[in-house]
Amino acid sequence: MHTLELAGVDSGYGGKPILRDVTLKVDQNTIYVVLGPNGAGKTTLFRTIAGILEPYAGSVLFDGQDLIHSKEIRQKINYLSHYNAIPEEMTVYNALNFYAKIEGGSASEVVSLLKLEELKDKKVSDLSQGQKKRVSIAKVFLRDRDLYLLDEPTSNLDPEVSKEIRDLLLHISKDRIVLYSSHNLYEANDVGTNLILIKNGRIGYYGRISDLKSKEYQVGIKATSDVSKVIDAKLGEQGYYILRVSSPEEAGLALRKLVEAGVLVTEMRQLDNPLQELFENSGKSM
Amino acid sequence: MSLALSSDQGIIIAKRSISLSKTFVIIGIFLACLSVLIANVPHLAGNSIPSTIPINGTEGINPIQSISYIAVPLQVFAALLFSTPVLLLYVYDKNNGVLEYFLSLGKDQSDIYREYLKSALILASVILIFEVALNGIVGLLERTSAFVLVTVPVLVVIIALPVVTFTTLAMMAFSSLQKQRVGSNQPLGLAIGVFAVLPAYIAPLVVPSATVILDSILAAVVVGLSIVLFFLSSRLISREKFLP
Repeated sequence: MHTLELAGVDSGYGGKPILRDVTLKVDQNTIYVVLGPNGAGKTTLFRTIAGILEPYAGSVLFDGQDLIHSKEIRQKINYLSHYNAIPEEMTVYNALNFYAKIEGGSASEVVSLLKLEELKDKKVSDLSQGQKKRVSIAKVFLRDRDLYLLDEPTSNLDPEVSKEIRDLLLHISKDRIVLYSSHNLYEANDVGTNLILIKNGRIGYYGRISDLKSKEYQVGIKATSDVSKVIDAKLGEQGYYILRVSSPEEAGLALRKLVEAGVLVTEMRQLDNPLQELFENSGKSM
Repeated sequence: MSLALSSDQGIIIAKRSISLSKTFVIIGIFLACLSVLIANVPHLAGNSIPSTIPINGTEGINPIQSISYIAVPLQVFAALLFSTPVLLLYVYDKNNGVLEYFLSLGKDQSDIYREYLKSALILASVILIFEVALNGIVGLLERTSAFVLVTVPVLVVIIALPVVTFTTLAMMAFSSLQKQRVGSNQPLGLAIGVFAVLPAYIAPLVVPSATVILDSILAAVVVGLSIVLFFLSSRLISREKFLP
Protein backbone atom coordinates (compact mmCIF):
# COMPACT_ATOMS: atom_id res chain seq x y z
CA MET A 1 0.00 0.00 0.00
CA HIS A 2 1.39 3.41 -0.98
CA THR A 3 0.84 6.74 0.72
CA LEU A 4 0.82 10.26 -0.65
CA GLU A 5 0.82 13.04 1.91
CA LEU A 6 0.62 16.77 1.38
CA ALA A 7 1.03 18.91 4.47
CA GLY A 8 0.37 22.66 4.43
CA VAL A 9 1.33 22.97 0.77
CA ASP A 10 1.35 26.40 -0.89
CA SER A 11 2.22 26.25 -4.56
CA GLY A 12 1.76 28.30 -7.69
CA TYR A 13 3.50 30.29 -10.39
CA GLY A 14 5.79 33.32 -10.32
CA GLY A 15 5.68 33.48 -6.54
CA LYS A 16 1.88 33.74 -6.50
CA PRO A 17 0.28 30.79 -4.73
CA ILE A 18 -2.62 29.02 -6.43
CA LEU A 19 -2.82 26.24 -3.88
CA ARG A 20 -3.02 27.37 -0.29
CA ASP A 21 -2.45 25.27 2.78
CA VAL A 22 -3.36 22.00 1.08
CA THR A 23 -3.25 19.07 3.45
CA LEU A 24 -4.19 15.68 2.14
CA LYS A 25 -3.43 12.04 2.80
CA VAL A 26 -4.09 9.50 0.07
CA ASP A 27 -3.50 5.94 1.15
CA GLN A 28 -5.75 3.61 -0.82
CA ASN A 29 -5.03 1.88 -4.07
CA THR A 30 -7.94 3.25 -6.02
CA ILE A 31 -8.99 6.13 -8.27
CA TYR A 32 -9.31 9.53 -6.66
CA VAL A 33 -11.24 11.99 -8.78
CA VAL A 34 -9.94 15.54 -8.58
CA LEU A 35 -12.75 17.93 -9.33
CA GLY A 36 -13.02 21.68 -9.47
CA PRO A 37 -13.85 24.51 -11.86
CA ASN A 38 -11.30 26.03 -14.24
CA GLY A 39 -8.59 27.84 -12.33
CA ALA A 40 -9.36 26.10 -9.05
CA GLY A 41 -5.87 24.59 -8.92
CA LYS A 42 -6.23 21.00 -10.18
CA THR A 43 -3.33 21.19 -12.61
CA THR A 44 -1.23 23.06 -10.05
CA LEU A 45 -1.95 20.26 -7.58
CA PHE A 46 -0.85 17.63 -10.09
CA ARG A 47 2.28 19.55 -11.08
CA THR A 48 3.20 19.97 -7.44
CA ILE A 49 2.74 16.30 -6.65
CA ALA A 50 4.72 15.38 -9.77
CA GLY A 51 7.60 17.54 -8.53
CA ILE A 52 7.33 19.86 -11.52
CA LEU A 53 6.52 22.81 -9.28
CA GLU A 54 8.42 23.31 -6.08
CA PRO A 55 5.98 24.30 -3.31
CA TYR A 56 6.49 27.64 -1.58
CA ALA A 57 5.58 26.04 1.72
CA GLY A 58 4.73 22.65 3.14
CA SER A 59 5.85 19.18 2.19
CA VAL A 60 4.90 16.47 -0.28
CA LEU A 61 5.76 12.94 0.79
CA PHE A 62 5.35 9.70 -1.09
CA ASP A 63 5.70 6.56 0.99
CA GLY A 64 7.05 8.83 3.72
CA GLN A 65 9.89 10.27 1.61
CA ASP A 66 10.33 13.81 0.35
CA LEU A 67 9.06 13.79 -3.20
CA ILE A 68 10.11 17.21 -4.44
CA HIS A 69 13.84 16.85 -3.90
CA SER A 70 14.26 13.15 -4.60
CA LYS A 71 14.64 12.06 -8.22
CA GLU A 72 14.24 8.46 -7.11
CA ILE A 73 10.84 9.10 -5.56
CA ARG A 74 9.69 11.27 -8.46
CA GLN A 75 10.44 8.37 -10.80
CA LYS A 76 7.68 6.40 -9.08
CA ILE A 77 5.14 8.83 -10.50
CA ASN A 78 3.71 9.26 -13.93
CA TYR A 79 1.98 12.41 -15.00
CA LEU A 80 -0.30 12.95 -17.95
CA SER A 81 -0.56 16.64 -18.67
CA HIS A 82 -3.12 18.63 -20.64
CA TYR A 83 -0.39 18.94 -23.23
CA ASN A 84 0.30 15.90 -25.35
CA ALA A 85 4.08 16.19 -24.90
CA ILE A 86 4.74 14.16 -28.04
CA PRO A 87 7.43 15.27 -30.52
CA GLU A 88 5.19 16.02 -33.48
CA GLU A 89 7.86 15.67 -36.13
CA MET A 90 8.23 11.96 -35.35
CA THR A 91 6.09 8.98 -36.25
CA VAL A 92 3.93 7.58 -33.47
CA TYR A 93 6.23 4.59 -32.97
CA ASN A 94 9.40 6.70 -33.00
CA ALA A 95 7.88 9.18 -30.54
CA LEU A 96 7.01 6.39 -28.12
CA ASN A 97 10.41 4.82 -28.67
CA PHE A 98 11.99 8.21 -27.95
CA TYR A 99 10.43 8.13 -24.48
CA ALA A 100 11.10 4.40 -24.06
CA LYS A 101 14.82 5.12 -24.49
CA ILE A 102 14.64 7.74 -21.74
CA GLU A 103 12.40 6.08 -19.17
CA GLY A 104 12.46 2.44 -20.21
CA GLY A 105 9.65 0.22 -21.40
CA SER A 106 8.66 -1.00 -24.81
CA ALA A 107 7.07 1.14 -27.52
CA SER A 108 5.68 -1.98 -29.19
CA GLU A 109 3.87 -3.04 -26.02
CA VAL A 110 2.12 0.28 -25.53
CA VAL A 111 1.23 0.44 -29.23
CA SER A 112 -0.53 -2.86 -28.71
CA LEU A 113 -2.03 -1.85 -25.35
CA LEU A 114 -3.58 1.33 -26.71
CA LYS A 115 -4.43 -0.26 -30.09
CA LEU A 116 -2.27 2.15 -32.05
CA GLU A 117 -1.14 -0.31 -34.71
CA GLU A 118 -2.85 1.60 -37.52
CA LEU A 119 -1.28 4.87 -36.42
CA LYS A 120 2.23 3.78 -35.53
CA ASP A 121 3.83 4.75 -38.86
CA LYS A 122 1.98 8.06 -39.15
CA LYS A 123 3.58 11.35 -38.20
CA VAL A 124 2.20 12.71 -34.95
CA SER A 125 1.56 16.09 -36.60
CA ASP A 126 -0.84 14.37 -39.05
CA LEU A 127 -3.04 12.91 -36.31
CA SER A 128 -6.33 14.25 -35.00
CA GLN A 129 -6.48 15.69 -31.48
CA GLY A 130 -8.09 12.51 -30.20
CA GLN A 131 -5.44 10.32 -31.80
CA LYS A 132 -2.67 12.49 -30.34
CA LYS A 133 -4.27 12.11 -26.94
CA ARG A 134 -4.20 8.33 -27.29
CA VAL A 135 -0.49 8.46 -28.14
CA SER A 136 0.07 10.76 -25.18
CA ILE A 137 -1.72 8.31 -22.89
CA ALA A 138 0.29 5.43 -24.36
CA LYS A 139 3.55 6.97 -23.14
CA VAL A 140 2.19 6.96 -19.58
CA PHE A 141 2.04 3.17 -19.71
CA LEU A 142 5.60 2.64 -20.90
CA ARG A 143 6.60 1.74 -17.37
CA ASP A 144 4.73 0.63 -14.27
CA ARG A 145 4.50 3.36 -11.66
CA ASP A 146 3.13 3.50 -8.16
CA LEU A 147 1.27 6.76 -8.56
CA TYR A 148 -0.53 8.00 -11.68
CA LEU A 149 -1.53 11.64 -12.06
CA LEU A 150 -3.88 12.01 -14.99
CA ASP A 151 -5.09 15.47 -15.88
CA GLU A 152 -8.31 15.03 -17.87
CA PRO A 153 -7.12 11.87 -19.62
CA THR A 154 -10.25 11.35 -21.68
CA SER A 155 -10.67 14.86 -23.07
CA ASN A 156 -10.83 14.80 -26.90
CA LEU A 157 -11.43 11.04 -26.91
CA ASP A 158 -14.50 9.41 -28.40
CA PRO A 159 -16.79 7.54 -25.97
CA GLU A 160 -15.55 4.09 -26.97
CA VAL A 161 -11.87 4.93 -26.46
CA SER A 162 -12.71 6.84 -23.27
CA LYS A 163 -14.33 3.73 -21.88
CA GLU A 164 -11.30 1.63 -22.81
CA ILE A 165 -9.02 4.08 -21.03
CA ARG A 166 -11.25 4.16 -17.95
CA ASP A 167 -11.31 0.36 -17.87
CA LEU A 168 -7.53 0.31 -18.12
CA LEU A 169 -7.25 2.79 -15.25
CA LEU A 170 -9.72 0.84 -13.15
CA HIS A 171 -7.55 -2.21 -13.71
CA ILE A 172 -4.28 -0.55 -12.75
CA SER A 173 -5.86 1.18 -9.73
CA LYS A 174 -6.25 -2.18 -8.03
CA ASP A 175 -2.69 -1.94 -6.76
CA ARG A 176 -1.77 1.68 -7.46
CA ILE A 177 -2.97 5.15 -6.58
CA VAL A 178 -4.56 7.03 -9.47
CA LEU A 179 -5.45 10.71 -9.27
CA TYR A 180 -7.77 11.58 -12.13
CA SER A 181 -9.10 15.03 -12.90
CA SER A 182 -12.20 15.51 -14.97
CA HIS A 183 -14.80 18.10 -15.86
CA ASN A 184 -17.25 15.36 -16.75
CA LEU A 185 -19.28 14.77 -13.61
CA TYR A 186 -20.85 11.56 -14.87
CA GLU A 187 -17.47 10.17 -15.79
CA ALA A 188 -16.10 11.23 -12.40
CA ASN A 189 -19.00 9.54 -10.69
CA ASP A 190 -18.47 6.35 -12.71
CA VAL A 191 -14.73 6.03 -12.44
CA GLY A 192 -13.84 7.29 -8.99
CA THR A 193 -14.36 5.94 -5.52
CA ASN A 194 -12.97 8.98 -3.72
CA LEU A 195 -13.33 12.64 -4.45
CA ILE A 196 -10.92 15.52 -3.94
CA LEU A 197 -12.71 18.77 -4.59
CA ILE A 198 -10.55 21.86 -5.10
CA LYS A 199 -12.16 25.17 -4.18
CA ASN A 200 -10.19 28.36 -4.71
CA GLY A 201 -6.90 26.52 -4.27
CA ARG A 202 -7.98 24.73 -1.11
CA ILE A 203 -9.43 21.31 -0.45
CA GLY A 204 -13.20 21.82 -0.46
CA TYR A 205 -14.17 18.21 0.05
CA TYR A 206 -12.25 15.02 0.47
CA GLY A 207 -14.03 11.75 0.98
CA ARG A 208 -15.82 8.84 -0.60
CA ILE A 209 -18.16 9.56 -3.50
CA SER A 210 -20.56 6.98 -2.08
CA ASP A 211 -21.04 9.23 0.95
CA LEU A 212 -22.36 11.91 -1.40
CA LYS A 213 -24.60 9.45 -3.17
CA SER A 214 -26.70 8.96 -0.06
CA LYS A 215 -28.50 12.17 -0.92
CA GLU A 216 -31.68 12.06 -2.96
CA TYR A 217 -31.28 12.08 -6.72
CA GLN A 218 -33.48 11.83 -9.83
CA VAL A 219 -34.00 8.86 -12.09
CA GLY A 220 -35.58 9.31 -15.51
CA ILE A 221 -37.74 6.50 -16.88
CA LYS A 222 -39.10 6.07 -20.39
CA ALA A 223 -41.73 3.44 -20.94
CA THR A 224 -44.44 2.45 -23.40
CA SER A 225 -47.21 3.37 -20.93
CA ASP A 226 -47.90 5.78 -18.06
CA VAL A 227 -45.62 4.71 -15.19
CA SER A 228 -47.08 7.25 -12.78
CA LYS A 229 -49.99 4.86 -12.23
CA VAL A 230 -47.56 2.29 -10.78
CA ILE A 231 -44.83 4.31 -9.04
CA ASP A 232 -44.58 7.83 -7.60
CA ALA A 233 -43.07 9.45 -10.70
CA LYS A 234 -44.10 12.60 -12.57
CA LEU A 235 -43.81 13.28 -16.27
CA GLY A 236 -40.95 15.73 -16.81
CA GLU A 237 -38.87 17.08 -19.70
CA GLN A 238 -37.89 15.06 -22.78
CA GLY A 239 -40.52 12.41 -22.09
CA TYR A 240 -38.92 11.13 -18.90
CA TYR A 241 -40.97 10.20 -15.87
CA ILE A 242 -39.01 11.61 -12.96
CA LEU A 243 -38.59 9.42 -9.91
CA ARG A 244 -36.81 10.73 -6.80
CA VAL A 245 -34.82 8.08 -4.96
CA SER A 246 -32.11 8.04 -2.31
CA SER A 247 -30.30 4.86 -3.33
CA PRO A 248 -29.77 2.54 -6.30
CA GLU A 249 -31.71 -0.13 -4.40
CA GLU A 250 -34.76 2.13 -4.28
CA ALA A 251 -34.51 2.64 -8.04
CA GLY A 252 -34.25 -1.11 -8.53
CA LEU A 253 -37.38 -1.69 -6.48
CA ALA A 254 -39.27 0.82 -8.63
CA LEU A 255 -38.13 -0.99 -11.76
CA ARG A 256 -39.28 -4.31 -10.35
CA LYS A 257 -42.73 -2.83 -9.63
CA LEU A 258 -42.98 -1.63 -13.22
CA VAL A 259 -41.97 -4.99 -14.63
CA GLU A 260 -44.43 -6.79 -12.38
CA ALA A 261 -47.15 -4.40 -13.52
CA GLY A 262 -46.38 -5.33 -17.12
CA VAL A 263 -44.94 -1.94 -18.07
CA LEU A 264 -42.30 -2.14 -20.80
CA VAL A 265 -39.42 0.11 -19.66
CA THR A 266 -37.35 1.33 -22.63
CA GLU A 267 -34.87 3.50 -20.74
CA MET A 268 -33.88 4.22 -17.16
CA ARG A 269 -31.09 6.57 -16.22
CA GLN A 270 -29.84 8.82 -13.49
CA LEU A 271 -30.70 12.39 -14.46
CA ASP A 272 -28.70 14.37 -11.98
CA ASN A 273 -25.39 13.73 -10.40
CA PRO A 274 -24.50 13.85 -6.72
CA LEU A 275 -21.37 15.73 -7.71
CA GLN A 276 -23.35 18.40 -9.56
CA GLU A 277 -24.28 20.49 -6.56
CA LEU A 278 -20.82 20.17 -5.12
CA PHE A 279 -19.25 21.23 -8.40
CA GLU A 280 -21.58 24.18 -8.94
CA ASN A 281 -20.87 25.50 -5.46
CA SER A 282 -17.15 24.98 -5.78
CA GLY A 283 -16.66 28.20 -7.69
CA LYS A 284 -18.10 30.17 -4.81
CA SER A 285 -15.97 31.14 -1.90
CA MET A 286 -16.15 28.89 1.09
CA MET B 1 17.23 2.06 -14.32
CA SER B 2 18.56 5.58 -14.22
CA LEU B 3 16.35 8.19 -15.74
CA ALA B 4 19.17 10.59 -16.44
CA LEU B 5 19.02 11.54 -20.07
CA SER B 6 20.92 8.87 -21.93
CA SER B 7 24.39 9.55 -23.29
CA ASP B 8 23.16 9.88 -26.86
CA GLN B 9 20.34 12.22 -25.88
CA GLY B 10 22.38 15.21 -27.01
CA ILE B 11 22.72 13.66 -30.45
CA ILE B 12 19.00 12.85 -30.56
CA ILE B 13 18.18 16.47 -29.74
CA ALA B 14 20.65 17.64 -32.39
CA LYS B 15 19.06 15.40 -35.02
CA ARG B 16 15.56 16.51 -34.03
CA SER B 17 16.68 20.15 -34.23
CA ILE B 18 17.97 19.74 -37.76
CA SER B 19 14.88 17.90 -38.94
CA LEU B 20 12.73 20.66 -37.48
CA SER B 21 14.56 23.62 -38.98
CA LYS B 22 16.71 23.01 -42.01
CA THR B 23 16.73 26.66 -43.08
CA PHE B 24 19.25 27.70 -40.42
CA VAL B 25 21.44 24.74 -41.25
CA ILE B 26 21.51 25.65 -44.94
CA ILE B 27 22.17 29.34 -44.23
CA GLY B 28 24.86 28.33 -41.71
CA ILE B 29 26.66 26.16 -44.27
CA PHE B 30 26.36 28.87 -46.91
CA LEU B 31 27.79 31.51 -44.57
CA ALA B 32 30.57 29.14 -43.49
CA CYS B 33 31.62 28.61 -47.13
CA LEU B 34 31.37 32.31 -47.89
CA SER B 35 33.42 33.32 -44.86
CA VAL B 36 36.13 30.77 -45.68
CA LEU B 37 36.38 32.33 -49.13
CA ILE B 38 36.54 35.81 -47.57
CA ALA B 39 39.37 34.62 -45.32
CA ASN B 40 41.40 33.36 -48.28
CA VAL B 41 40.39 35.32 -51.39
CA PRO B 42 42.54 38.40 -50.52
CA HIS B 43 45.58 36.18 -50.83
CA LEU B 44 44.42 35.05 -54.25
CA ALA B 45 43.97 38.68 -55.27
CA GLY B 46 47.68 39.19 -54.38
CA ASN B 47 49.26 42.27 -56.00
CA SER B 48 45.96 43.82 -57.05
CA ILE B 49 45.37 44.84 -53.41
CA PRO B 50 47.76 47.33 -51.82
CA SER B 51 49.63 45.87 -48.90
CA THR B 52 48.95 48.90 -46.68
CA ILE B 53 46.38 51.66 -46.71
CA PRO B 54 47.67 54.58 -44.58
CA ILE B 55 45.07 56.33 -42.43
CA ASN B 56 45.77 59.79 -41.02
CA GLY B 57 49.46 59.24 -40.65
CA THR B 58 49.06 56.03 -38.67
CA GLU B 59 50.52 52.72 -39.70
CA GLY B 60 47.34 52.15 -41.71
CA ILE B 61 45.67 48.84 -42.28
CA ASN B 62 46.74 45.79 -44.18
CA PRO B 63 43.57 45.07 -46.20
CA ILE B 64 44.55 41.46 -46.94
CA GLN B 65 44.95 40.59 -43.29
CA SER B 66 41.99 42.74 -42.18
CA ILE B 67 39.64 41.03 -44.61
CA SER B 68 40.95 37.64 -43.52
CA TYR B 69 40.20 38.41 -39.88
CA ILE B 70 36.74 39.79 -40.64
CA ALA B 71 36.05 36.21 -41.68
CA VAL B 72 36.52 35.16 -38.03
CA PRO B 73 33.24 36.65 -36.68
CA LEU B 74 31.48 35.55 -39.88
CA GLN B 75 32.55 31.96 -39.29
CA VAL B 76 31.51 32.28 -35.63
CA PHE B 77 28.14 33.57 -36.79
CA ALA B 78 27.83 30.59 -39.14
CA ALA B 79 28.34 28.28 -36.15
CA LEU B 80 25.74 30.23 -34.21
CA LEU B 81 23.26 29.92 -37.08
CA PHE B 82 23.98 26.22 -37.37
CA SER B 83 23.18 25.66 -33.68
CA THR B 84 20.10 27.92 -33.63
CA PRO B 85 17.69 25.02 -34.42
CA VAL B 86 18.42 23.70 -30.91
CA LEU B 87 17.01 26.91 -29.46
CA LEU B 88 13.96 26.58 -31.68
CA LEU B 89 13.51 22.98 -30.58
CA TYR B 90 13.84 24.03 -26.95
CA VAL B 91 10.97 26.51 -27.31
CA TYR B 92 9.01 23.99 -29.38
CA ASP B 93 9.44 21.28 -26.73
CA LYS B 94 8.56 23.74 -24.02
CA ASN B 95 5.34 24.82 -25.75
CA ASN B 96 4.44 21.23 -26.58
CA GLY B 97 4.79 20.03 -22.98
CA VAL B 98 7.82 17.82 -23.68
CA LEU B 99 10.00 19.66 -21.15
CA GLU B 100 7.24 19.42 -18.56
CA TYR B 101 7.08 15.69 -19.20
CA PHE B 102 10.87 15.38 -18.79
CA LEU B 103 10.51 17.04 -15.39
CA SER B 104 7.72 14.68 -14.43
CA LEU B 105 10.05 11.77 -15.17
CA GLY B 106 12.19 12.88 -12.27
CA LYS B 107 14.71 15.03 -14.07
CA ASP B 108 15.92 18.34 -12.74
CA GLN B 109 16.10 21.50 -14.80
CA SER B 110 19.87 21.22 -14.99
CA ASP B 111 19.63 17.70 -16.49
CA ILE B 112 17.44 19.11 -19.24
CA TYR B 113 19.09 22.37 -20.20
CA ARG B 114 22.52 20.77 -20.21
CA GLU B 115 21.36 18.28 -22.83
CA TYR B 116 20.08 21.10 -25.06
CA LEU B 117 23.34 22.96 -24.50
CA LYS B 118 25.28 19.81 -25.39
CA SER B 119 23.26 19.49 -28.59
CA ALA B 120 23.96 23.11 -29.55
CA LEU B 121 27.68 22.49 -29.00
CA ILE B 122 27.53 19.26 -31.01
CA LEU B 123 26.00 21.12 -33.96
CA ALA B 124 28.44 24.02 -33.57
CA SER B 125 31.33 21.54 -33.49
CA VAL B 126 30.13 19.90 -36.70
CA ILE B 127 30.18 23.18 -38.62
CA LEU B 128 33.46 24.23 -36.96
CA ILE B 129 35.16 21.03 -38.09
CA PHE B 130 33.80 21.72 -41.56
CA GLU B 131 35.06 25.32 -41.45
CA VAL B 132 38.51 24.35 -40.17
CA ALA B 133 38.87 21.68 -42.85
CA LEU B 134 37.63 24.02 -45.58
CA ASN B 135 39.91 26.81 -44.34
CA GLY B 136 42.84 24.45 -44.57
CA ILE B 137 41.99 23.19 -48.04
CA VAL B 138 41.16 26.60 -49.52
CA GLY B 139 44.09 28.23 -47.69
CA LEU B 140 46.56 25.73 -49.09
CA LEU B 141 45.12 26.08 -52.58
CA GLU B 142 45.20 29.89 -52.39
CA ARG B 143 48.64 29.92 -50.70
CA THR B 144 47.33 31.89 -47.75
CA SER B 145 50.03 32.95 -45.32
CA ALA B 146 50.77 30.31 -42.69
CA PHE B 147 50.03 32.78 -39.87
CA VAL B 148 46.53 33.52 -41.16
CA LEU B 149 46.00 29.87 -42.05
CA VAL B 150 46.61 28.88 -38.42
CA THR B 151 45.21 31.84 -36.46
CA VAL B 152 41.87 32.23 -38.25
CA PRO B 153 40.60 28.68 -37.50
CA VAL B 154 41.98 28.81 -33.94
CA LEU B 155 40.26 32.14 -33.25
CA VAL B 156 37.02 30.89 -34.82
CA VAL B 157 36.96 27.81 -32.58
CA ILE B 158 37.91 29.55 -29.32
CA ILE B 159 35.33 32.30 -29.90
CA ALA B 160 32.54 30.20 -31.41
CA LEU B 161 32.20 27.55 -28.71
CA PRO B 162 31.81 30.01 -25.81
CA VAL B 163 29.54 32.28 -27.90
CA VAL B 164 27.26 29.33 -28.70
CA THR B 165 27.34 28.31 -25.02
CA PHE B 166 26.55 31.83 -23.82
CA THR B 167 23.79 32.38 -26.39
CA THR B 168 22.15 29.02 -25.77
CA LEU B 169 22.17 29.43 -21.98
CA ALA B 170 20.93 33.01 -22.23
CA MET B 171 18.10 31.99 -24.53
CA MET B 172 17.02 29.19 -22.21
CA ALA B 173 17.30 31.39 -19.14
CA PHE B 174 15.29 34.21 -20.65
CA SER B 175 13.08 32.45 -23.20
CA SER B 176 10.12 32.70 -20.84
CA LEU B 177 10.14 36.44 -21.46
CA GLN B 178 9.16 35.66 -25.02
CA LYS B 179 5.70 34.25 -25.38
CA GLN B 180 5.84 33.80 -29.14
CA ARG B 181 5.57 30.36 -30.57
CA VAL B 182 8.36 28.50 -32.28
CA GLY B 183 10.17 30.49 -34.95
CA SER B 184 9.57 33.86 -33.39
CA ASN B 185 12.31 33.88 -30.82
CA GLN B 186 15.50 33.37 -32.75
CA PRO B 187 16.24 37.05 -33.48
CA LEU B 188 17.04 37.68 -29.82
CA GLY B 189 19.32 34.64 -29.70
CA LEU B 190 21.11 35.69 -32.85
CA ALA B 191 21.28 39.29 -31.66
CA ILE B 192 22.99 38.13 -28.46
CA GLY B 193 25.49 36.20 -30.57
CA VAL B 194 26.10 39.08 -32.98
CA PHE B 195 26.55 41.47 -30.08
CA ALA B 196 29.00 39.09 -28.41
CA VAL B 197 31.25 38.96 -31.49
CA LEU B 198 30.85 42.62 -32.49
CA PRO B 199 34.40 43.53 -31.35
CA ALA B 200 35.74 40.87 -33.71
CA TYR B 201 34.20 42.72 -36.66
CA ILE B 202 35.63 46.05 -35.57
CA ALA B 203 39.13 45.00 -34.47
CA PRO B 204 40.55 44.12 -37.94
CA LEU B 205 39.51 47.53 -39.24
CA VAL B 206 40.48 49.71 -36.30
CA VAL B 207 43.50 47.96 -34.79
CA PRO B 208 44.55 45.40 -37.40
CA SER B 209 47.93 44.72 -35.84
CA ALA B 210 46.28 43.72 -32.54
CA THR B 211 43.40 41.73 -34.02
CA VAL B 212 44.67 38.34 -32.89
CA ILE B 213 45.26 39.59 -29.36
CA LEU B 214 41.90 41.37 -29.18
CA ASP B 215 40.06 38.35 -30.56
CA SER B 216 41.82 36.19 -27.97
CA ILE B 217 40.76 38.61 -25.22
CA LEU B 218 37.21 38.52 -26.60
CA ALA B 219 37.28 34.72 -26.47
CA ALA B 220 38.47 34.84 -22.85
CA VAL B 221 35.71 37.31 -21.91
CA VAL B 222 32.98 35.21 -23.53
CA VAL B 223 34.39 32.07 -21.89
CA GLY B 224 34.20 33.89 -18.54
CA LEU B 225 30.63 35.04 -19.17
CA SER B 226 29.63 31.55 -20.25
CA ILE B 227 31.09 29.99 -17.11
CA VAL B 228 29.30 32.53 -14.91
CA LEU B 229 26.02 31.99 -16.75
CA PHE B 230 26.46 28.22 -16.61
CA PHE B 231 26.82 28.24 -12.84
CA LEU B 232 23.93 30.70 -12.46
CA SER B 233 21.72 28.66 -14.75
CA SER B 234 20.29 26.43 -12.05
CA ARG B 235 18.95 29.56 -10.39
CA LEU B 236 17.97 31.41 -13.55
CA ILE B 237 16.29 28.42 -15.17
CA SER B 238 13.67 27.33 -12.66
CA ARG B 239 11.45 24.31 -13.25
CA GLU B 240 8.54 26.67 -13.76
CA LYS B 241 10.21 28.09 -16.86
CA PHE B 242 9.89 24.71 -18.55
CA LEU B 243 6.10 24.79 -18.41
CA PRO B 244 4.08 25.49 -21.57
